[in-house]
Amino acid sequence: MGTPVPEVGPEVMVGVVVAIAAFLTISILLGFFMRKKAKSFGEWLVGRRDIGPLVTGFALVASYLSGWAIFGNAGLGYAYGWSGSWLIGTTCVAGTSLCLVIGYRMRRYVALGARTVPEMLRVRFESRTVQALAGFAMIILLIVYSVGQYKAMATVWKITTGTPFYGSLLVTAVLVLLYLIVGGYTGTQWVSCFQGIVLTIVGWTLGITTLIWAGGLGEISRVIETQTFTAPNGTQTGIPLDSYTLPLPPPEGLAFPGVDYVGVIAAMFMFLLMATGFPHNISRFLGTRKITKREYWIMLLILIVGGLTPLWIGLAGFAARTKWGNIFMTSEYYPMYGDSAPVYASISAGGVPLVSLFAASVFAASVATIAGMVMIMATNITRDFIHNAYPEASPKKMLWLTKLMLIPFIAIPLYWTFTSPPPILSEFMAGSAVAQAGIFFFVVGVSMYWKRATKWGAIATIIYGLVVTLLHPKAYGKIVGLYHWGYWALLLMFGSALIYVLVSLTTKPLSKEKLEKLFPK
Amino acid sequence: MSKIYCLLSIMALCVILVPVIAYLFGGWFAYWGHALLAIVFAVLAVFIRTRYYWEED
Repeated sequence: MGTPVPEVGPEVMVGVVVAIAAFLTISILLGFFMRKKAKSFGEWLVGRRDIGPLVTGFALVASYLSGWAIFGNAGLGYAYGWSGSWLIGTTCVAGTSLCLVIGYRMRRYVALGARTVPEMLRVRFESRTVQALAGFAMIILLIVYSVGQYKAMATVWKITTGTPFYGSLLVTAVLVLLYLIVGGYTGTQWVSCFQGIVLTIVGWTLGITTLIWAGGLGEISRVIETQTFTAPNGTQTGIPLDSYTLPLPPPEGLAFPGVDYVGVIAAMFMFLLMATGFPHNISRFLGTRKITKREYWIMLLILIVGGLTPLWIGLAGFAARTKWGNIFMTSEYYPMYGDSAPVYASISAGGVPLVSLFAASVFAASVATIAGMVMIMATNITRDFIHNAYPEASPKKMLWLTKLMLIPFIAIPLYWTFTSPPPILSEFMAGSAVAQAGIFFFVVGVSMYWKRATKWGAIATIIYGLVVTLLHPKAYGKIVGLYHWGYWALLLMFGSALIYVLVSLTTKPLSKEKLEKLFPK
Repeated sequence: MSKIYCLLSIMALCVILVPVIAYLFGGWFAYWGHALLAIVFAVLAVFIRTRYYWEED
């Protein structure tokens, strides 16, 4: 320790702007090239069902690696030491493999007319109510998820350009709008594949470079074990960071997943279920062509290599703690705190080239993710609500309405981040992840394999999941005495499973003839 | 069928061992050990899928 935090000069700003511009240009070119090939809106959404294992695999990596994994993980390692690793996702490969195993069946629903996840549910349950309700749940949970993405990009922009944090948030919103206007989102799978490759390469590079910079695994481990927890705002505690649990004082401290082994187990189940539960993840299989067993293994290999990226990002946070101690937890770094760590670490360890590449990666992971989520939410309104209620509405009007809906869905999470930016973004986003895991793993994932699932089971699960989400320990949980993140997360995930099974078993499934279409022998 | 149960048991073990390793060993051993257990889990999941539950269109 004792190493000064680097000064950020104009060369860093130039490097970052050039890297982001280059990344944006490549994404747009890819987007336009692939859009030319699509002949209809449906084909644009899922392609011609001709996407191979490489593109699907890396697109899945890109949709999984959001601002949380590619940026926020360093803040977790930095702020919480070893106990941060439960949200870093050291076991995330297990979860993504379940998504690979379960998600492939999404193809079956494309053949039956589905183009989005809520539409898949309409086909599965023959229910427009399930479609609309799933769309509503996705909107709520994706807004929360977008808040963390805003903070990620704004933090990088603030540190590398010197723009004040709130100005950087506005720049992020403008970048999202620009990305949507110029068509960065239109390449869907192909742009995502490109992003997945970039994120993986940069994530591994950042991790390995900062590992060397900090003096190796032994040195990092030695220093981390001498550190104690410092709360965001600089309040020091005597709680050591040397263990995989961090016994923060109750009641507020219980909201941290790594506070004890109940929270740890809940975090493990979250990672097992959430990759499948994220609608933006499982929808990657909508455009996949029929693949061979060998290609299935290739996809797994991609997911393993990509799935180790979050660990390297977490390592950058440990490295920053080794070099700078708890400096980023002081009020001088409000509201970025520990999330500042990877940016400064990338500057110190790799200079302008590394920080520029890292900024472009955060751009890919956060801005492109916000853009994708804004598109999903806008489409939820038009396809799952309005078109659902008024099927005769003209496609032209629907398209205009979708474009109009982009504005509120960019503005709502922006306002949220403006008024209450989360101190550690990954910890905040985990709340939304638990809800998506608890609701959609069963309603989408299991429903593709369990014939006995019913629309009432799906409806009850979505409603239950959303209600319990409101009882998050940092939201309304305090009112009912639910302070512990682990109990809350287990209640949400296992409660959803129980409700899904019990309500399905006590209500009537689709007729045999209809089920035979969905589950051919 | 007993082979599948055997493989599923190993997968369950890969999950159970995660907090055990964290508690008993900690440090980098747990950090990378968890990733290794997750990879074993993933390989077995895909093996079961491709070997026993493969779907043709």
